Amino acid sequence: MDAFSIGIIGACGLVVLVFLGVRVYIAAAAVGLAGLVAMIGWDSGAGMVGTIPHSKSVSYTLSVLPMFILIGFLAFHAGLTEKLFDAATKWLGWVPGGLAVATVMAATGFAAVSGASTATAAVFSRVAVPDMLKAGYDKRLAAGVVAAGGTLATLIPPSAILVIYAIIVEESVGRLLIAGFLPGIVSALVYGALIVTMAKINPSLGRPIRGFTWTQRWKSVPGTFPIIAVVVIIFSAMYFGWATPTEAGALGAFVVFVLALVHGMRWNGLREALLESAKLTVMIFSIIWGVLIFVRFLGFAGLPEAFAKWVVSLDVPPIMVMICILLFYVLLGMFMDAIGMLLLTLPVVYPAVIALGYDPIWFGIVVVKMAEICLITPPIGLNCFVVNAVRPDIPLTTVFRGIMPFFLADVATVGLFLAFPEIILWVPRLMMGG
Amino acid sequence: MEAQTPSAGAAGEAPRLSAFDRHLGRVETGFNLFAAFAIFALMLLGVWQVLGRTLFNAPVRGYIDFVELSMASFAFLGIAYCQRLGGHVRMEMLLKPMRGRLLWGTEMFGTLVALAVVAVLIWYGWGHFLRAYQLGDSTIDAQLPVWPSKLAVPIAFALLWLRLWVQLAGYLRLAIDPRRRPVAVTTVLSVQEQAAHEIEETAGAVRRGGPG
Repeated sequence: MDAFSIGIIGACGLVVLVFLGVRVYIAAAAVGLAGLVAMIGWDSGAGMVGTIPHSKSVSYTLSVLPMFILIGFLAFHAGLTEKLFDAATKWLGWVPGGLAVATVMAATGFAAVSGASTATAAVFSRVAVPDMLKAGYDKRLAAGVVAAGGTLATLIPPSAILVIYAIIVEESVGRLLIAGFLPGIVSALVYGALIVTMAKINPSLGRPIRGFTWTQRWKSVPGTFPIIAVVVIIFSAMYFGWATPTEAGALGAFVVFVLALVHGMRWNGLREALLESAKLTVMIFSIIWGVLIFVRFLGFAGLPEAFAKWVVSLDVPPIMVMICILLFYVLLGMFMDAIGMLLLTLPVVYPAVIALGYDPIWFGIVVVKMAEICLITPPIGLNCFVVNAVRPDIPLTTVFRGIMPFFLADVATVGLFLAFPEIILWVPRLMMGG
Repeated sequence: MEAQTPSAGAAGEAPRLSAFDRHLGRVETGFNLFAAFAIFALMLLGVWQVLGRTLFNAPVRGYIDFVELSMASFAFLGIAYCQRLGGHVRMEMLLKPMRGRLLWGTEMFGTLVALAVVAVLIWYGWGHFLRAYQLGDSTIDAQLPVWPSKLAVPIAFALLWLRLWVQLAGYLRLAIDPRRRPVAVTTVLSVQEQAAHEIEETAGAVRRGGPG
């Protein structure tokens, strides 16, 4: 049998194993191992596979992951969410739907210390929903805005998923992180504009919250300084290159760590945050080396190039292919965690996308945005379930109805990214040229 | 997402298996704590490196070598802990509607695949370590020996291998008699349970809260 046929059988085998519930890191490693052994023999094949976990994991670029993950887990102990929401309410409460807009902006700020969409939605369900309901806001709006607000966390650095994308496609981590800022903020502004418009048309959705003095406003600002510090550290380190992503992540984690101590985190809290960080870190590393074993096999089989050639030879405009790929991700994202989904598909999809002439950075941001949309899309839409679990008094159907406008806004945002790639590419170009 | 069946919930069932599960669990938690502190140390080292370099013009010697070698701790040591708690990503779409023998049989199949792959990885990972040890391999910059880092791989995978055997035994007793209560295995959570789990993880975050 020729290498290409083995490659096809392997890819199908991977799909079967994954559907049977075999863990992604094992499924990918199993297929990669079997395929390499079939092509180059037991000793060379298994010997090669045996060195991959260590040699691929022990790479300085990857060391940024535990730092970003640690920032995220410590951030929950630092009491930042209430302070952000308080400041955002005082500054933005006066617009129509003010508290909902404030929620979006506070979630945007919190995204700067969190890369976890679902966890962010959970926290804001606790912080922002009670105030919105007390102020007589529409339940659907209140629930929708926290579920959607959570999704901002993955685009705005620190974002583990953008780092993983960069590593798999061998792009600069710094460039991708920098690229995530503006689209994250654009998404937030689109949400904000949506809320203001809805509340203007139907004022009963959420009335403006007025009556704060300028003194009160300015007094709320210092509470947000730690967030600003982390943003400045990470952004300026990437932009001016005075620190590596790992070093910037370490500094950011340290700032949040000190803050958490001040806010009253004790040994138990720290132990929990550290154990959870280690668990998530090992999960991500396992899937990275597992998939890299599979990628080695795919490379030997020549599958990615063959797929890319086939896609380019299709008699359809590239934009149609891109839309099909994005729809495919929506479908897949309903049934699978974003990290697993990206790692499994990128080795084959990515070369094709590049062959079609799309920019690697641009595609990374768009794909991560798609994965986020899946978190608010029925039937799974984990963020919606989280809101319902925190607030059992808001039925799931209400949450899903509340999320609809935000879902449509997200689709529009992706359309915006398709039409104006510059939104994504402008800042990284400014940074490094090219 | 899934969760391990609580040992307390199945008191008296499969006493030897649950006892072994608990002992192994302690070792796994110990390994994961080690990884956790390595992450914490990496943070402190990073801060020291940046401050040392920018303020005192004295960077940590061999910083990158040191980071790379220490990465083996958090890249591997927690792998069995994560496996026990069902933390590794998988697709549960087809498992969710499965019940009884079909479900436990499918889980056994997945565990057997894992056992086979991990066995190969232990064997050849050990060889990878042994070569580095015998040749006295060291890093280019700081001349640190490479073998301790490579040794972490077969050790962590050996622990994972034991965990997989425990899970296989757990699934096997359920496949034999599906009426038994699950012990020492992970069970698939519904989306609702998964949501509740996410919230638990952020419980320390907000002091006020709850409906009202």
